[in-house]
Amino acid sequence: MLRDTLKTLLAAYGPSGKENTVAETVKNLISAHVDSMRVDALGNLIVEKLGSDENGKRIMFSAHMDHIGFVVTHIEDNGYLRVNNVGGINPQISNARHVVFENGTEGVLYCQPLKGEAMMMKHLFIDIGAESREEAEKLVQLGDMAVYAPDYFELGEHRVASPAMDDRCACALLCELLMYLDDPRNTVVGVFSTQEEVGIRGAKVAAYSVQPDIGIAIDVTAWGDTPDVTLPSVQLGKGPAVKFMDASMVATPAVRDAMLKAAEEAGVPAQREVLPFGGTDGAAIQHSRAGVPTGTLSIPCRYVHSPAEVIDMRDMEGGLKLLLKFVENA
Amino acid sequence: MKTEDFLREVVALPGVTGNEGAVAQYIAKAFEPFCDEVTVDGLNSVIGHIKGDGPKVMLCAHLDEIGLMVAKIEKDGALRMRNVGGVDPRILPGMRVTVHGKETLMGVIGAKPPHLLTAADRAKNYNREDLYIDLGMSPERVNELVQVGDFVTLEYAFTPLLNNRYSTKSVDDRGCVAILLRAMELLQKTAHTADLYFVATCQEEIGSYGAATAGFGVDPEIGIALDVCHAATPGAPALATHELGSVVATKGPFINRYLRKKLDEIAHEINVEVQSGVAARGTSTDADSLGIVRGGVPTVLLELPLKYMHTSVELFDMHAVTECARLLAAYCSAIDESWRDELWT
Amino acid sequence: MDLKQLCEFHAPSGDEYKLRAALLEEAKKLCGDENVRIDRMGNVLCFKKGTEIGKPHVCVSAHMDEVGFIIVGATEDGLLKFRCVGGIDPRVIVSKRVLVGEDLIPGVIGAMAIHLQSAADRQRVLDYDGLYIDIGAKDKAEATAKCPPATYAYFDTPYTPFGDNFVCAKALDDRVGCYAMLRLMEESFPCDVTFAFVTGEEIGLRGATGAGYTVRPDIAVILEGTSANDMGDVPPQFRVCEAGKGICVSFMDGASIANRTLYRDMLKIAEENGVPHQVKRATTGGNDAGAYQRAAAGCRTIALSVPCRYIHSGVSVAHFDDIEAQYALTRAFLKNV
Repeated sequence: MLRDTLKTLLAAYGPSGKENTVAETVKNLISAHVDSMRVDALGNLIVEKLGSDENGKRIMFSAHMDHIGFVVTHIEDNGYLRVNNVGGINPQISNARHVVFENGTEGVLYCQPLKGEAMMMKHLFIDIGAESREEAEKLVQLGDMAVYAPDYFELGEHRVASPAMDDRCACALLCELLMYLDDPRNTVVGVFSTQEEVGIRGAKVAAYSVQPDIGIAIDVTAWGDTPDVTLPSVQLGKGPAVKFMDASMVATPAVRDAMLKAAEEAGVPAQREVLPFGGTDGAAIQHSRAGVPTGTLSIPCRYVHSPAEVIDMRDMEGGLKLLLKFVENA
Repeated sequence: MKTEDFLREVVALPGVTGNEGAVAQYIAKAFEPFCDEVTVDGLNSVIGHIKGDGPKVMLCAHLDEIGLMVAKIEKDGALRMRNVGGVDPRILPGMRVTVHGKETLMGVIGAKPPHLLTAADRAKNYNREDLYIDLGMSPERVNELVQVGDFVTLEYAFTPLLNNRYSTKSVDDRGCVAILLRAMELLQKTAHTADLYFVATCQEEIGSYGAATAGFGVDPEIGIALDVCHAATPGAPALATHELGSVVATKGPFINRYLRKKLDEIAHEINVEVQSGVAARGTSTDADSLGIVRGGVPTVLLELPLKYMHTSVELFDMHAVTECARLLAAYCSAIDESWRDELWT
Repeated sequence: MDLKQLCEFHAPSGDEYKLRAALLEEAKKLCGDENVRIDRMGNVLCFKKGTEIGKPHVCVSAHMDEVGFIIVGATEDGLLKFRCVGGIDPRVIVSKRVLVGEDLIPGVIGAMAIHLQSAADRQRVLDYDGLYIDIGAKDKAEATAKCPPATYAYFDTPYTPFGDNFVCAKALDDRVGCYAMLRLMEESFPCDVTFAFVTGEEIGLRGATGAGYTVRPDIAVILEGTSANDMGDVPPQFRVCEAGKGICVSFMDGASIANRTLYRDMLKIAEENGVPHQVKRATTGGNDAGAYQRAAAGCRTIALSVPCRYIHSGVSVAHFDDIEAQYALTRAFLKNV
């Protein structure tokens, strides 16, 4: 079930550059449903489900495994850890948070109250309970990364929250797509990409080696339905969003329109998304080699890049139906 | 076709970045009489091939234009918009626009009348978020005809001015596509050995993606990029501007020295006036991305001076266009095998 | 070629011609004519066949370009207007000597005498619009005739060993890497190695972007100079690395995250071979590792940097032990790969 797959993926540790646990989790979920799996030099997990039609298209789907975190840059004599951000961390909302390292070491991220100064990464430190540098170094080394402690809770019937929703919800969607696809005509290449949060790096090299005819990125998008938000127009629970543009790309009109058509045929309400900022793996695919017609499917998500990213499962289910129809039509 | 007629027709076609289908098809047709083969690639770059046995050369000018996209429809039918490429927000208040919805609709970008503004407000420019497009329709009709993601172009005219100068939209960079076309025509009567690819690239305005992708497909040994630069206007810094009447050839770390030197030599031979520019950092044109396609492409850049860039009244001098085409044709016909060994000397 | 000779070449990004020619000659001697070439970015690529088969192809890369200046015009009274090529803080160039153009015309970067400055002037940072190179020209015509726009200008600083085994010079970033590579090219290794002297790092990793695509290595080892920031009242948590404490191994910077296995292996090899080393602690900045990592289908990367104080100025300072450690660790890595 979509919700179970999502819960499994949300529990995996995986900041940018250290996505191997997520990759293992994905492999366990889908190995029985694909024809091949490989991991490339940047840690992208690339799986293929071969199409029955040898003249069929090669469709690449990309969902990124990494999420934002904190990297240890200094260990103080008294055992506190100084950190810098990995990806787009907001220091303000990171204060007094529970964080965890790959080896299970837990900590509290904290900042002394500041007088008239905006909180920045340099003000934050992690307290892992160590009383000296030596004690800290037994558990944590320079370059180790912490993430917001895994969490999962439900808000009402349809909505779920977690710090890793961006972009594990897309990984869940892609896993389910590969599970549900039954003897597709077109070849489907699933890329579980790395290092999106630090600049769309994994998808760039994956797109180069996959050489797709069509690209689809799956990612979360910002919301416009909470108090004091004006743009964008996307709302939770009103269906998955088909991206028209963001700061990284303008979706290829033919692909975008085929996605809207697939939604209509699948009886799924779809929203149209014009995002004034942000970027996705879609940009890397579209601009790969001699250019790849590409679109992005977005799952509306509130409070992106916070410890409680909220999505609506109805948008996920709609997204799955849309993508299944899209593969069938392509 | 006369350059003026081509320009009048080509600027009329909407081609906001990422939605360049119509203008790409038009340019492909215009290229056809002069090429052995013309293709439109997957992202809407137009590639015209004039065959030769010598070095493979790619010339490019971008066909996309800046514009707006509908981002949200308010309850009262007002359209919120976001920019596609660097639209100067100062030009928007009081602008007539075309909304490309299910029908082509006229709209106006309204602004609060000055009577209702405080003195402090009057001293500030509008933010893009404060502006909206008014279609003069009920919200129901708006929602019927317009959707989020529809694109919007600025109203414009094609205006001949004094001294062979013209003002219209999208001279950035279809003015340079016109130079490519004219050069192709001249090459009909000139011998050349180079294997020439004339490319009208897509998606320059949001990051020069078309030059990178079309460049990857063509895989040239030598790149020649064409784009616009700023012509002098009152108050503009002298170091950043040039005279309107002749083309500018840039120098700097992004430009191949040998290719640039040959430009001067050939311009001198055929008596074309060329101004010199310096770009200490990137050139902010297709030259930057073309230069690092695949294993790299030694690249040179020619720029057409333009007043009022990124507005709907961009102004250029036709003399600069025709002279640049003459230079480009002569340059293409001069490229031969010997250039390969000189690129890094 | 020794480090002194390397540092004395003037080669700002886009003006690497003379250094490239010299490196090409040197490389031909060390690797054989047929194994050396200039690629489409003007990089010098040198191939050394491995002594064993089945090993990964390693690219060792250092950039040949340095930061410098380019003339963009002249004032009516004959002063040259200029811009930086690569990032140079305008605050460090006032009252410095430069050499302009191929003929190395001496010039100075002057500023209004302190006596004539108002209190406000003294607070104001002079930016490139307010700075000029004075070559003594009497008017615009003379200045432009001698130094037309697009002429490059270079720091005029001698290479000077000083203090306790330190060296002060311009262009240590990244002639230290070039120097280590020339020494490494004297021997062969079990694995195939391409040594890449690349262009245009300081203007956006441009040479390496092409080299990565052309070479397609399995592993890229980037030899760099990096800012040390280890003196004065910099608190310990903001010190990037310390000069004299060994070669810096990077886990992450603004352009790339090191392959985690390579990073661990590199620390282990340094440990086992007794090479002084430290971990680079800042995650900002960036180097060619970012370009190699993402060229074509990607490769695993790691950067080994010599700590350089006052990097991107005319007086960068490095420690000879760190320069030696860069060579020693790269050599040990190539033997163990």
